Amino acid sequence: MSRAARWVRRYGALIRNAWLVDLQYRASITLWLLWGVTEPAVALGIWWTIAGDGPVAGYARADFARYFFALMLVNQLTIAWDSWYLDSWIREGELNFRLARPLHPAHEAVAENIAYKARTAGMILVVWLLVALAWPAVRLPLQPGRWALTALAVLLAAAMRFFISFTTGLLAFWTTRATAIMDLHAGVSLFLSGRIAPLALLPPAVAGAAAWLWFPYMLAFPVEVLTGAAHGAALGHGFAGQVVWLGVWIAGYRLAWSRGIKRYGAVGG
Amino acid sequence: MASGITAERLSKTFRVKVRDPGLGGALRALVRPRYRDVHAVREVTFRIEPGEIVGFLGPNGAGKTTTLKMLTGLLHPTTGRVEVAGFVPWTGGPAFKRRIALVLGNRQQLVWDLPPEETFQLNRAIYDVPEADYRERLAELVALLQLSEVLEKPVRQLSLGERMKCELAAALLHRPPILFLDEPTLGLDVTAQEAIRGFLAAYRERHGATVLLTSHYMQDVTALASRVLIINRGRLLYDGGLDALVARIARTKRIELVLGDGATAEALAAFGELKSFRFPNAVLEVPREEAAATSARLLAALPVADLSIEDLPIEDVIRRAFTHGVEEDDA
Repeated sequence: MSRAARWVRRYGALIRNAWLVDLQYRASITLWLLWGVTEPAVALGIWWTIAGDGPVAGYARADFARYFFALMLVNQLTIAWDSWYLDSWIREGELNFRLARPLHPAHEAVAENIAYKARTAGMILVVWLLVALAWPAVRLPLQPGRWALTALAVLLAAAMRFFISFTTGLLAFWTTRATAIMDLHAGVSLFLSGRIAPLALLPPAVAGAAAWLWFPYMLAFPVEVLTGAAHGAALGHGFAGQVVWLGVWIAGYRLAWSRGIKRYGAVGG
Repeated sequence: MASGITAERLSKTFRVKVRDPGLGGALRALVRPRYRDVHAVREVTFRIEPGEIVGFLGPNGAGKTTTLKMLTGLLHPTTGRVEVAGFVPWTGGPAFKRRIALVLGNRQQLVWDLPPEETFQLNRAIYDVPEADYRERLAELVALLQLSEVLEKPVRQLSLGERMKCELAAALLHRPPILFLDEPTLGLDVTAQEAIRGFLAAYRERHGATVLLTSHYMQDVTALASRVLIINRGRLLYDGGLDALVARIARTKRIELVLGDGATAEALAAFGELKSFRFPNAVLEVPREEAAATSARLLAALPVADLSIEDLPIEDVIRRAFTHGVEEDDA
């Protein structure tokens, strides 16, 4: 069997198991999905009301609707829970058997991400299509080029959010507060990644600070690619930012993994 | 490729933070942390030949699991050298990991919500086991472990014994030449313990695997291993056969008696140390070399209905080794 075929089989088995486990937890999956929909829906409701008197920073009601529907989809396609898994693997000793297998534990995490995203995003896409039939404001132009760019931006954002989450989870090698650090990151990203409002609406100082960090490339940029708000130089700038920050987080992950495993090897689990 | 295990002067020292109790202690630890060295394993040396099955004994915290984790590459030794199946465990990578199985009695790799066969299929993919080999091995493991009834039940519905059998099956599908088993019968009832022991003996017989087994249950070790390593407070106290251990530590034998009318505790005490007396049964402990002669004198002097000479139970021997060291009775 070729090397590629072996990896396809491994990932196939990991994704299959993740889906089979999900089937056991249909109710909680539905609740997670509702949670994923509720936050952008609430934000949309607020901005919809505010924009009743006219556009805010260039965003009219329809623009907000498109933005938050796109955000809903992009968030589900890029979200990562790995820090919580890793924290429990490391603290509860479940990392041991994973380290004794000839497969890096990160592959299991990647496969679970693929499984989760394929399922949840599929469901949100269906909801979106149904809503778009009745509500023209949230319809998106069918331009293959834009969808291809969106796919690339979403892929880079998903990879970056995975490495951020995985690396933060690895902090459990050093501290029992790894999930608290991830919660803090999620809190900051609520504002700086565009989850609560498009970045154009942030105070200039905050938006300026965000532009120097990875947050806008996690979510706001792929959303703007999808809605068509990002074009021209902004596209080039956005993709460059995604590639650079992805590189930084991969480097951070490699450092945390090699140091963490050495520490785990030194102090035990 | 060789499937032996070598450990040379293996040591592991953990540096742990020391904290006084209470809020004050917590604050002091924050400002000025203090550390203490814990020597979990000290200068342990042994060699296990391919195909050997060795029991690894010691009380809680003796260093058994730490040693096992060093042998499987999960922990780096502070000093010393390890070679397992020709590999240095922590640099062996996937090639090394394919040659070992690690079963931890208190941790499970089975996916909790799915039937065990799903974990087996996952391991088939992870270890690149060809389909035909997988079918053949699974059939063998299912037969040896009597798993046919449980393969399709979710793991969460299985009994502890059934789960451990499935853990073993999952760990052995890639047919590793070396098995590290950490308390595989922990918490199991007697029947399940016996089933696991029977399986391990049969598996090793068929496939000649090298096995290092830690257990609290002496029966596991006496049933499976003729050689034991005894470790306490990180030091290897004994490495050798069980018979030799008994001869070395138990310098006494037990004479078990069923007495006739008229025998008294006072009369018996003259022949050796009276360990128990509950008429008509009595147990005397006497020096090994005097056991035969004392028995003859007992038969001549007292109304004895039945008499047997026994070695000390292995549990007692090992307990003495843990508490007093292996040299105790030689001193």
